[in-house]
Amino acid sequence: MAELKIDNVYKSFGEEHILKGISLDVTDGEFIILVGPSGCGKSTLLNCIAGLEDVTTGDILLGDTNVTYEAPKDRDIAMVFQSYALYPNMNVRKNIAFGLEIRKMPKAEIAEEVARVAKLLQIEPLLDRKPSQLSGGQRQRVAMGRALARRPKIYLFDEPLSNLDAKLRVEMRTEMKKLHQRLGTTIVYVTHDQIEAMTLADRIAVMKGGIVQQFGTPQEVYDDPANMFVAGFMGSPSMNFLRCEVTKQEKDYAVQIESQGTIFQLPVDPKQADLSSYVGKTVVLGIRPEQITHVMPHLVAEQYITQVPVKIEVTEPTGADTLILARINDQECECRVHPQEAGKVGESMELLFNMSKAVFFDEQTEARL
Amino acid sequence: MLASRKKGIDYWLPKLVVSPTLVIALVFFYGFVLWTTFISFTNSSFLPSYELVGFDQYVRLFMNPRWLNAMWNLVVFGVLFIGICMVVGLVMAILLDQNIRAEGAIRTIYLYPMALSFIVTGTVWKWLLNPTVGIEKFVISLGWDSFVFDWIIDPDMAIYTVVIAGVWQASGFVMAIFLAGLRGIDTSIIKAAQLDGANLFAVYTRIIIPSMRPVFFSAFIMLAHIAIKSFDLVIALTGGGPGNSTDVPAIFMYQFSFQRGQLGIGAASAVIMLMTVLAILVPYLYSELRTPKNG
Ligand SMILES: Nc1ncnc2c1ncn2[C@@H]1O[C@H](COP(=O)(O)OP(=O)(O)OP(=O)(O)O)[C@@H](O)[C@H]1O
Ligand SMILES: [Mg+2]
Repeated sequence: MAELKIDNVYKSFGEEHILKGISLDVTDGEFIILVGPSGCGKSTLLNCIAGLEDVTTGDILLGDTNVTYEAPKDRDIAMVFQSYALYPNMNVRKNIAFGLEIRKMPKAEIAEEVARVAKLLQIEPLLDRKPSQLSGGQRQRVAMGRALARRPKIYLFDEPLSNLDAKLRVEMRTEMKKLHQRLGTTIVYVTHDQIEAMTLADRIAVMKGGIVQQFGTPQEVYDDPANMFVAGFMGSPSMNFLRCEVTKQEKDYAVQIESQGTIFQLPVDPKQADLSSYVGKTVVLGIRPEQITHVMPHLVAEQYITQVPVKIEVTEPTGADTLILARINDQECECRVHPQEAGKVGESMELLFNMSKAVFFDEQTEARL
Repeated sequence: MLASRKKGIDYWLPKLVVSPTLVIALVFFYGFVLWTTFISFTNSSFLPSYELVGFDQYVRLFMNPRWLNAMWNLVVFGVLFIGICMVVGLVMAILLDQNIRAEGAIRTIYLYPMALSFIVTGTVWKWLLNPTVGIEKFVISLGWDSFVFDWIIDPDMAIYTVVIAGVWQASGFVMAIFLAGLRGIDTSIIKAAQLDGANLFAVYTRIIIPSMRPVFFSAFIMLAHIAIKSFDLVIALTGGGPGNSTDVPAIFMYQFSFQRGQLGIGAASAVIMLMTVLAILVPYLYSELRTPKNG
């Protein structure tokens, strides 16, 4: 149990600059999720925290101690590797017990701990097998077990559930959450799964190109993205980006959209953005698919809701909702409607654009306005 | 038509190309193995004879103190040679594995002895170990007058000089095998062990070395058959002497077959050597071929 402070960490492999000034303050017991596109440096950052890679410059503090120059074995960190990294010469039981044996835990306690972890991860029947005799998902659970058997100051998880089937994944996700609530250990967790990120995290760090783009609670990152990258990366299906012109209305501003030859003005909530200096210019409107819905009578009259007829180009039923691809300003725009309300491809359909959560970005810099 | 003729050539050409080799191998290798085995059951002396005498030659062989001495030398040489080569090779491989500078150059230097023939190695070491021109002379010339290093002329110690020369020649090769094995291990396994709290020593003894078992086995097999067949090294280094003190089975076989006109005993000793090699090789091949490789 400890807080983790990553202070302006740079990491280069030769001329290859991977981490470019990462700073994160993680409080004791927090569950941090790292997300970002493949190759953005997430695993490298975990390796730096664990001490498996030396940072080029910057400091890493664990609790009150600066561990930047400490060996991995002295940092008291447990990690689940993306590649599992099971010991090939040991069976599952030994793999899990190894760290405990090294730390001189009594034999009986080790056996107890192994049994507990094996039950939690549903790998009891596999305890006597060698890693080479396991499937990918089973190896991944053993790798988890090896970490969970210990009580370190910090857990680092590098995509620990990526290879499990959908059902087991949901179960394990819940187990992770329970485990964290029970132990209260600080966790840094890498995932590509949006749902995992949103459900598990206390705070999410969105990385791109070795830089943290935004570090905030799931809701902040979702509703209040720092730039177009974060907005597009978080959420599935992802946010629609529509280039449109800003116009001045009586006292507020609006963005102008065109659908089936007709022009509509979508009013801009001044709480969301001040577009006074952009009148007549183009901005990028960011609006999530769930903000564009079928017509619900009780919503029609609301201030920031506009009814727009669109032409349906593609429909994608997902079960709970149907996604509709429409053409707005000659750009594609995804909308989420109730399956029963969805029209057919080629037909026209009335949709409600809810601007109360819309966000705006500069066309060139992609920064939030 | 063209296609089927082309297929015909494709089918026959490889067989045609390997067939001379196959015939040669069959006749000169397996054929002579069978012939030698047959001779070992006859009363052949200077010239092959075809009169069967059962196991007489084997009995005479094992009554011969020179043979027993040669066998004992093989045991001493084999155990020390294999053991020391493995340890030295492993230590060098582990040291080289620590990402040291100029690794490529060092690796080449250690590997070079393997490129020499055992005759060259034997001759060079014969000079080095010769008390009147080699190491002993050199150390004395440095001023340590009482220094003595005359194993090569000491019947009790001469076999160890064969070990020294053999180790010098083969350990670089063993190192290369082990290094390849070490490099084949996923580095994240080592990282995981470090996070589990293991120091470098534990990482090697508990994880890396145990998971290199197949590599050890290969190295052992190769060294074992070098040891059993050791002939040229001993001939070049000591010629089997002083006296018969560094006799090994291969020399015994050569001398009895071709110099002393006792073809029957020679053949019997050759068969025993073949059996020894097979005794090591067959379980190895069996275990290797039977279990499919799994990573
Ligand atoms: N040892 C190394 N030497 C050189 N470059 C490296 C090394 N390790 C990683 N990299 C590079 O660093 C970048 C970041 O790698 P990293 O493994 O941290 O990505 P990641 O964010 O974990 O990606 P993924 O989501 O695919 O796991 C990649 O471009 C990779 O090629
Ligand atoms: Mg990674």
